[in-house]
Amino acid sequence: MFIMRFTERPYVAYSEDDVRKSFRSSVRLTFSNTHFDPKLGADLYNQYLDEYEFSEEVGFDGLMLNEHHNTPTCMGATMNLEAAILARMTKKPKIVLLGNPLPIFENPIRLAEELAEIDMISRGRLVSGFVRGTGIESWATNTNPVHNRERFEEAHDLIIKTWTTPGPFRWEGKHYQFRVVNPLQTPLQKPHPPIWIPGVGSPETLEWCARHHYPYIYLETDPQVTVSMTDLYSKAAAEIGYQPGPQNFGYLWRIHVQDTDAKAIEVGKGFLTGNAGIGRVPLPGDFMAPAGYNSREGSKRLLEQYKHALRPDPLYGGVDSAGWDAVVESNRIVVGSPKTVIKKIRQGLKVFRPGILGVWSNDGTIGHKDTMRCLQLMKEEVLPAIREIGKELELPGPFEQAP
Amino acid sequence: MTSEQKFLSVGGAGIEYLVGGSGPPLVWLHGVEGNLGWLRMHEELARTHTVYVPTHPGYAGSERPPWLETFLDLSRFYLWILQELRLPHAIVAGHFIGGWLAAEIAVMSPSIVSKLLLIDAAGVRPREGEITDIFLHGSEGSRRLSFFDPKQVADYELLFGSKGGPDAREAHIINREATTRYCWKPYMHDPSLAPLLERLASVPTMLIWGREDRIVPIECGELYRKAIPGARLEAIERCGHFPHLEKPAEFMRATAAFLTGDRRE
Repeated sequence: MFIMRFTERPYVAYSEDDVRKSFRSSVRLTFSNTHFDPKLGADLYNQYLDEYEFSEEVGFDGLMLNEHHNTPTCMGATMNLEAAILARMTKKPKIVLLGNPLPIFENPIRLAEELAEIDMISRGRLVSGFVRGTGIESWATNTNPVHNRERFEEAHDLIIKTWTTPGPFRWEGKHYQFRVVNPLQTPLQKPHPPIWIPGVGSPETLEWCARHHYPYIYLETDPQVTVSMTDLYSKAAAEIGYQPGPQNFGYLWRIHVQDTDAKAIEVGKGFLTGNAGIGRVPLPGDFMAPAGYNSREGSKRLLEQYKHALRPDPLYGGVDSAGWDAVVESNRIVVGSPKTVIKKIRQGLKVFRPGILGVWSNDGTIGHKDTMRCLQLMKEEVLPAIREIGKELELPGPFEQAP
Repeated sequence: MTSEQKFLSVGGAGIEYLVGGSGPPLVWLHGVEGNLGWLRMHEELARTHTVYVPTHPGYAGSERPPWLETFLDLSRFYLWILQELRLPHAIVAGHFIGGWLAAEIAVMSPSIVSKLLLIDAAGVRPREGEITDIFLHGSEGSRRLSFFDPKQVADYELLFGSKGGPDAREAHIINREATTRYCWKPYMHDPSLAPLLERLASVPTMLIWGREDRIVPIECGELYRKAIPGARLEAIERCGHFPHLEKPAEFMRATAAFLTGDRRE
């Protein structure tokens, strides 16, 4: 089992009223950057890097980062910078980028260069995830959402070719054209760093991942939906002649541990302001998914497939609006003492059977002190126990068994 | 008088259009709302003209050839559509992106446009104001900005109401996606259109604008007027982005002489 630690690196020094007063009451995209104080930002970037540095000592196999734009819910607007710093600061854990939003890059060759440099500086510890990005990423970079998937696939193909084909070569694609592809910097890992894809279940992406043998990381999806999505991946894999195992799947889970259940339940509430932002004011739907961002065919299939299981996006409604008690009760967010948390994780691992577990240890208004205590308890009790459970349930990660 | 729904195959794509009336041909190019059908205003125009109302490729009702991606692609493809419709010399009228389209067609091929009628048209970038970002405002928000007073629109509920069935919702999604594809960037304008408008000296041109248009500011109408030699701009008072729907009588009065007259207005 591969265990990685994650936080969205939130900025929470604003009020619900600030959100409500922003254009279309959105915490992302149009939420004015006048609410951001770079002095506090400086402290937070350093604090979050300190926490990641400590995560190596805790024993995590990977340090997971993500990237979003125009939002206080995630300060990682240029994730590769943080990755480069961690590449130098740490020695052992993989640096797991989930992921670079390919469609928004006008120059994927530059991205291939950055990632190759990170791979070399870290001496071969990069896991290079790619994403389509939310609609906000398209908005923030003025990238036409109608071409999101085409650009994702073409940029991916171009980057892989850049990493694996001796240069110079020429690329004349639909969205990208380069006449001399020949960056000096190529990755240390051969043929290229592992590629993992996180998501919430676009059927096209699942099938695409299966065809490429790329592990798919579920971003805290509904348990029932997760199982159906695994079936979809498995069917697509079977079509090209292989049977996926735990090494092909990951599950990202908000997990917060404190000395007692009561303390964890109290502190863990801070998660609710992560991701959806302070006040959890629903985002306009066309900000997250502008016209054309999702294929009509894909959306229909998704609805058809999961109409019984699909709930409102847990990050913006569903789980949160069901109330904190229900969230805790249903284990959509795992909080508790080490003993409680280990028990709950075990139940989930039995259902999802992932070879990769993303531990989203803190977010929202969960502060530094509580985060450090949480990580300390993970080091002493939780991580060793999860490793045992992983062995017992036979959940090999992608570095133990090739996906 | 009624219209007929017809289909045409152009470059392998099925193109839907409505046609009705009699007289010199007039092609009406719809805006981002897609083809709303044979409107009262079409009926009025059809008293004196043979009115063609095609659905743009990619909008609900017409197919988009897979290669057609940009507004320029759309404009060039329209020359082909007009050719297949056997309209070598027609009045071309258009609203919002339809007006932009009409202007692109005209600068590419002035001889096929007998007269040009642009209504609250996109296409040129204002210097002072902005063309409202209808995507950012969302469907509801941009609809609210589209009218001076929705009560002035006789068929408002029918045309813009939220009570449409699944077909209407599906059409709305398709139309919005098409507009996103063609107009996302640069948003709602073509930087090389304005310098080419001078080419339209030989094309009688009229510009109609709702004085209170909050989507395309009347400044754009002024820019068109200055750029097209001999063009005339008429503003309709107490009227928003859809003069032909919000002030149909004034719209018909303002355009009648231009559309039927022999001489340039």
